[in-house]
This record gives sequence, C-alpha cells and structure tokens, in this order.
Amino acid sequence: MKNQAALKMALSEPAKTLTVAVAGNPNAGKSTLINALAGTRLQVGNWPGVTVEKKEATLLFQGRRLRLVDLPGTYSLSPYSQEEIIALDYLVQEHPDVIVDVVDSTNLERNLYLTMQLLELGIPVVVALNIYDEFQKKGYEINTSLLEGSLGLRAVPTVATRGEGLEELLAAVLEAGDHPEAHRPRTLNYGQDLETAVQEVERHVQVRHPDLATRYPQRWLALKLLERDERLLRETNLGNGPFLEQATRHLREGHGDDLEELLAEARYGQAAGLTREALKKKATGRRELTEKIDAIVLNRFLGIPIFLVAMWLMFKLTFDVGNPLVDWVDGVFTGPLTRWTKALFTAIAAPEWLVSLATEGVIGGAGMVLTFVPLIFAMMFFITLLEGSGYMARAAFVMDRAMHAMGLHGKSFIPMILGFGCNVPAIYATRTLENPKDKILTALLVPLMSCGAKLPVYVLFTGLFFAAYASTVIWAMYVLGIVLAMGMGILFRRTLFKGESPLFIMELPPYRLPTLKSLLIHTWEKGKHFLVKAGTYILAISILMWFLLNLPWGVADKKDSVLGKLGQGIAPIFQPLGFNQWQAASALVTGFIAKEIVVSTMGQIYGTEEEKEEAPSFGEDLQEIGVSLGKAFWEAGSNVFSTFGIATLAAEEDEKTESWRDKLTESFTPLSALAFMAFTLLYMPCMVTAAAYKHEFGTWKWFGLATAYGLILAWLVAFIIFQGGRLLGLGG
Amino acid sequence: MMPLGLLAPGEKAEILAIRGEKPGCHRCTCQCRLESLGLREGKTVEVLNNPGRGPLLVKVDESRLALGRGVAMKIRVRRMRK
Repeated sequence: MKNQAALKMALSEPAKTLTVAVAGNPNAGKSTLINALAGTRLQVGNWPGVTVEKKEATLLFQGRRLRLVDLPGTYSLSPYSQEEIIALDYLVQEHPDVIVDVVDSTNLERNLYLTMQLLELGIPVVVALNIYDEFQKKGYEINTSLLEGSLGLRAVPTVATRGEGLEELLAAVLEAGDHPEAHRPRTLNYGQDLETAVQEVERHVQVRHPDLATRYPQRWLALKLLERDERLLRETNLGNGPFLEQATRHLREGHGDDLEELLAEARYGQAAGLTREALKKKATGRRELTEKIDAIVLNRFLGIPIFLVAMWLMFKLTFDVGNPLVDWVDGVFTGPLTRWTKALFTAIAAPEWLVSLATEGVIGGAGMVLTFVPLIFAMMFFITLLEGSGYMARAAFVMDRAMHAMGLHGKSFIPMILGFGCNVPAIYATRTLENPKDKILTALLVPLMSCGAKLPVYVLFTGLFFAAYASTVIWAMYVLGIVLAMGMGILFRRTLFKGESPLFIMELPPYRLPTLKSLLIHTWEKGKHFLVKAGTYILAISILMWFLLNLPWGVADKKDSVLGKLGQGIAPIFQPLGFNQWQAASALVTGFIAKEIVVSTMGQIYGTEEEKEEAPSFGEDLQEIGVSLGKAFWEAGSNVFSTFGIATLAAEEDEKTESWRDKLTESFTPLSALAFMAFTLLYMPCMVTAAAYKHEFGTWKWFGLATAYGLILAWLVAFIIFQGGRLLGLGG
Repeated sequence: MMPLGLLAPGEKAEILAIRGEKPGCHRCTCQCRLESLGLREGKTVEVLNNPGRGPLLVKVDESRLALGRGVAMKIRVRRMRK
C-alpha cells in the first residue's frame, strides 16, 4: 500500500504528502471529526501487534494530499496503557508532519494537559477547539490568540458534528506542515535546575549517541531519560552507565526522587494557568440538562428499573427489526438461490456432488451464517445509539454494584448484555474495558449468555417435550446461563485472574444526540467484520463439514460418513447425560459452526424426505423475493409498534419439522432433552465467536479456555440434570 | 479531612491527597489515571450522586466521573462550606 501511495504521488503530486496524526481525549469528538473529514475514505485496521483499532484516510485539500492517522483516544501520554503506548510510539517513531489535537473546548483545562505533552515532541500542533457550539451555548469565551501565542500552536474552533470549522482546520494544518520552523511549539520551562539537567542530557546524547539524537525528539528524550522511563531506558541502553545517575543527582537532592511527579505538576500548572487566563466563564446558576437527566437516570431507586426498560426496548427493537429480515434472507438462500444454483450447475453439466457441495455446503453453511447479518446490524445500530447518546456509560454506573459480586465492575455488564443477542458483538464490546484482566474475564463469561442462535434449539425441544410450560423452561435456560456466569466469574477471579478488585473510574460523557450519519458509519464499522469473516473462513469450514458428511466418497447412509463415525465415536461420552445417539453427538459437533445448526443437522440426519414441490420460474422467484422483502419490512415496522414483538422469535421453527419429530421424541425423554438443552447452552462458543476471540485478543488461547471450561461445565451440568432427575424419580 | 466517598450529593470539597500507593496499585495505574482525568490535589470536586453504596458520581472541572467506592475512599478531601 505504501508503495502504491508513493507511486501515485510521484506521478501526480509535486509537493509531498503531509502526514497528520490526530490525537485527543476520549469523548472530545475525535471520531466524529475524523469521520467528518474522511467519510467513506476511512480505512479501519489494527495497529500492528495489538487489537486496538487504527483508522487512516488520505484526502485531498487545496490540491495537497493529507494522510490522516487516528491515534487512540488518551488522557495523557504516559506509557502505562496500551492506547497511550500506541499513540506515543507512533508520534515518536513515525515523525508525523503535524499533530491535530482534538480538544473538548467545554473542558479545556483537562484536555490541555495532553496538549502540553504533545508539545514536547517538537512537532507542529494544531488544536481543534471542538464542541464549540456547546462552548458558546454555555456562554464561555476564549482568547484564542493568547492560547496560540503562549503555546506556539494554531487553535481553530470546530463543530465536528456539523462539519463546521473543518476547512479552517485543514488550512491551518497545511500551513503548519509546510512551515514547521514558524510553527515550532513553545516548550514549557521547567525551572533552572531541571532545564540545566535537560541540556546536559541532550548534549551527552548528541555527542555519544548521535543515532538516538536523530531517532527521537531531543528534548522529549532528555526529559524521559530524566524521568527514568523504564521502556526508554531499555530501548536505548542508556540506563546502565553512570551518566544519568550523575546528571540527576543534583536534581534529586533538590526535588526528591519523583521527577515524573515534578514534571506532571509543572504541566498541570501550565494547563490550569493558561485556562484561567484564556477562558472566560460566565457563572450560570442553572443546572445543565445532562445533570437533570442524570438525577433521574442514576437515581438510587429509579436507576435499575430505567435501565431494565432501556435494555428491554433495545432487545425488542433489535429482534423486531432484525428477525423478519433474517427470515427473508433465509428464505432467499434456501429457496430461490438454492434453486438457481442447482439450475445453473445442471446447465453446465456439473457433477452431482458439486451441486450438493454448493447448495448444502456453501449456501447451507456459510449462507446460514450470513442470514444473521440483519440481526447483527440491527443490534449494532441500537448499541451505537446507546453509546453515542451517552446512556451506555450510565448503564455501567447503575450495574456496578451487582457486577462486583463477580469480581468485575459496571463496565463489564455491557458486553454481557450484548451476549444475549449474539456473542460476537459481545466479545468485541469488551474493547471498552481498560484493564486487560477484566476484558479477558468478561469475554470468558460471555458464551454463557443464551444467544439468539441457541433459541431455535430451546424452541424445538421445549415444543416437543414441555409444550405446556415451554416459556418457563426457556426462561430457566437464560437464568441458568446467568447464574453459571456469576459462579464462573467468582471462580476465575479467585484462580486465574487473582488480584485486586478492579478500579472503577469512568467518564460519563454529556448526553448528545448522535447524527444519523455517524450512527450509520459506526454501525457499518462494527458489523462489517462479520461479513468479511462469513465470506472467508466460515465458508472454508462449511465446505469441510460438507465433506465430513459425504466422505467416504458416495457414502449412502450418513451414519457411515466421517461425521457419522465421529458422532458414534464420541457418543459414549454422552451416555451418562442421557443422549448417547450418534445423531445428537454429530449435531453437537456441527453446532460449533453456529448453534442453530444443531437443529438443522438433526433435521438432515434424522432424515427429511426430499421435498418435491413445483419449482417456480426465475421470474416468479424474483417477484417473490421482492414481495417477501416488502413483507419483511412491513413486519419489522409493525413489530416495533406492537408490544409483544419479541414473541415472533419463539414462533419460528415450527412447520417442516413434522416428519422427524416423531423420531426425535422416541430418541429423547423430557429429562434427557433438558440435559441436551443445557449442554447446547454451555458447551462451547461457536465458530464466529471463536473468530471474534482471535480477532480481539490476537491469540487462540482464550477461545481455548472458554471451550475447555465450557465443555466441562456443560457435561457436569447436563450430568447433574439427568442423573439428579433420575434420582428424584423423574424418569430416564 | 475525610474520604470523598462519605460526602453527600451537592457537597463540594477540595482534594487534599490521593492514597494510591498500595501493593498492586502502581502509581500510574491508579493515581495517574485519576490525575489525567482531572482528580488532583488542590482540585475542587462536587459530588453529584452518592447512593451510599456502589459507585458515586462527581464533577471535576467540566467532566462527570463515575468512581468506584474503593477509589472514592482513597481520595482524601476537605469539605467546603456552602
């Protein structure tokens, strides 16, 4: 990609591309600003070696090419959190031409602390005084030229949500990037003692280590060495010699050991002082809207009920909107698309097995996973809405105390809630947790949440065995998952993830109404991984599964296929659980692809007759697709306004199972059916979730652990249900 | 001098000290994080919400911060008269 960009530049651009790093506090509107500037040109990837998102975009402004690199949102540049290290490393090692520092102008003092640190890197800084509309609404006034003059930077008011001030911002960036000498940042004077030491270290580095002097910003390097920054001492090998000891002895005698603290104080002092001088606040007695809403939403008694209603609404809307579309996609895949594929393959005289591979393997496997796309996107949309409006942070606040029982804090609650919809976005949602331990622990508990894909299994079995009290049994499955998550949380916290109970510190952003554009962009960014994965290796595994069901070549009875043999091989494991048929075992194996496949595999194995129906013509098919899409939207729309919308979920897997229901009823008893459901709930995360683990943590380790404990837990719980039930005389 | 966690909603206080240095709590995973969020010695905080158990909500400068009770008890403050 780099070469390509270089080539394009050489061909068309005489002037050099400016690299612009965009830094800023979380909640300062950095994301919105980047989206407003780059729009669809934004490329999202990961920073090398870590799973923190990296966004980049190249755009043309006044005929010049600007390459924007979005740094992780940070409150400071001290090298203690992953985000801060990434931002710092990029700035120090990649030498961007300009830094755009996105500042929440309504919260200037705190945001300026990061600015003070950015200035030390010697790179021209352009400050975007963002959220300027609210700033003005509050009646604040700022002396921009004072700010610019004292810090040696450019400051431009912006309102990223409305795209205001962006032209001026880019113009300032261009100006600063082309004339770096005129925009050299002012450095903070740390006082005579420290400055002398800084000069001494700078000289030493220049003379003895000229390579380091060119690699790092000099003043920054000297300050970091004085602070005895461990990472830098390791990297530069300067920690060993007596030199630093001598350079700092005098300082430490005068100021104590903690130079880092001393420097931090000086920066805060400067940020506070400057804010006092440059910012005029009118004292207003009125409470802000955010505080008024918080007084209700975070109320001791109302907080949890309001939260529950919000969650219920989110689920209702997600499933109301998503489900009809899921049915539609499913209908298109299993109906017309399968028929067309068959027709096409027959037309080119493809062998029988290829037709079967394409329809059953590819469409039935990878296509099956794709059918959940509407649900995923609907959920992502509502999550984005909750996040963007600022409510998600309140939910974490409200649920903090309950989560402490599991050794986690409120923030972990968000991913677990999402797990009820689908475990995949839930795993990604652990991203919001700063502490890696919390993040992993939360991700490990997510698979215990009954996701939407497990529901078809519950629905099928409760329909057959517990028809009279089906909803109670399904509800019990959800509760079982939650209770076990609490237990496992406590267990993990006491064993693998020992340590202090986590510190809960979180900024609650002001309530803001997100724009539709930013909602859609973020929804797309969240959901598109899912599409990509479905098209790549989910496809591959689906094809593999098809082969397993059809090998040895030309196998007549599915029982003798590789998968059938595998099922027979592991079936004895399930003997004590009450379901030792190879069919059940095989279904559980294929359920790894997606839990709902447990049902479809059972359907296949228990032998459905080939349906002999009139094949509609191509034209009729097309018409039907259109009509059913219209119906799906209509249903989605009407669901939203009907109170019992979620009920449509339970009514799904009804017809077409008739033929093999009897066989299933013969193979299971109510007790073993219950054990089977519990096993399906717990046994392991599905393939897409596995991919999410790998993507989010960069290793298969945590997926491995989730699978291992899941299998053990599933076996134990199913065992207890089945054997316990028998002891109680509930029949076997 | 009292821990921040004991203030009632609506009360304002000045931060006197943050006791962050205990085993397993490196200066810069606790104190620095508080500092970079604006909770520093000398700063004025206003308690917006304190249900008595669980986290509390405070306001520093222009930001609202949710603080776990554990953290809030480590912050020593002097209550200011209204």
